[in-house]
Amino acid sequence: MNLEGYLAVSAALFTLGIIAFISRRNSIAILMGVELVLNAAALNFVAFSRFSVSPASRMEGQIFAVFIILMAAAEAVVALAIALTVYREFKEIRADRLTQLNG
Amino acid sequence: MIELPLLFFYLFTILVLGVGLVVTFSANLLRSAFALFFVLFGVAGFYVLLGGDFIAIVQILVYAGGVNVLLIFGTMLTTDVANPVKSNLSFQGILTAVGAIALFLLLYGVIRSANWGVITPDKMEPTTRLLGRMLLKEYVLPFEVISFLLLSALIGALVLVIKGDRT
Repeated sequence: MNLEGYLAVSAALFTLGIIAFISRRNSIAILMGVELVLNAAALNFVAFSRFSVSPASRMEGQIFAVFIILMAAAEAVVALAIALTVYREFKEIRADRLTQLNG
Repeated sequence: MIELPLLFFYLFTILVLGVGLVVTFSANLLRSAFALFFVLFGVAGFYVLLGGDFIAIVQILVYAGGVNVLLIFGTMLTTDVANPVKSNLSFQGILTAVGAIALFLLLYGVIRSANWGVITPDKMEPTTRLLGRMLLKEYVLPFEVISFLLLSALIGALVLVIKGDRT
């Protein structure tokens, strides 16, 4: 498969993540949308490094993918801690009901 | 006769996009969380097809085994999973669909029209040794920064969820 195939799959995954992120109501579902977007980005990095012209940069995309995965782990931990704290405080997880800071 | 990598590419594409639709549109949040599991496995399959053996294993271990289990825990702890109708999505109809299709068509148009200047790769090699060497030579500073980030995320999450008086 050529590069365009992988990029097209990644674009579709990115679009699904954006939809989840915009139109879902539950905070944890929004977090799942973020995970989809991050996966699409990492897939792009690995695909570009696989098809790269210079042999020296064949690995660099995979290094970036490792960093993306680790960053996603840190992000998921903190976001879930925030979600649990908010749930304990307000007994509510849906993002459109959390209007304390609305002013 | 279709060649084997191409066959697996189409299989993984169907898997990722099919269960990706479930993640995005399922009314049952727990079902979305389990579907995300299969999306992560499909992306790991793409990594294998792209010659990244180590990265595929990291994806399965850290993402599917760690992050996604955390997400499932979060889902079960916060939403009413016995009554999935309440924990569902807000699909804001036409506007979201039109926007998403427009976004995908824009991205796809750019992908098709751009001249990427890439080559067709010939062979795949084991990447673990090379990745380890790069992480400890050229990328040692980002490596240390990300380990510090993980440590601070760990402590930050503990501080956030700890009970009792925090003054």
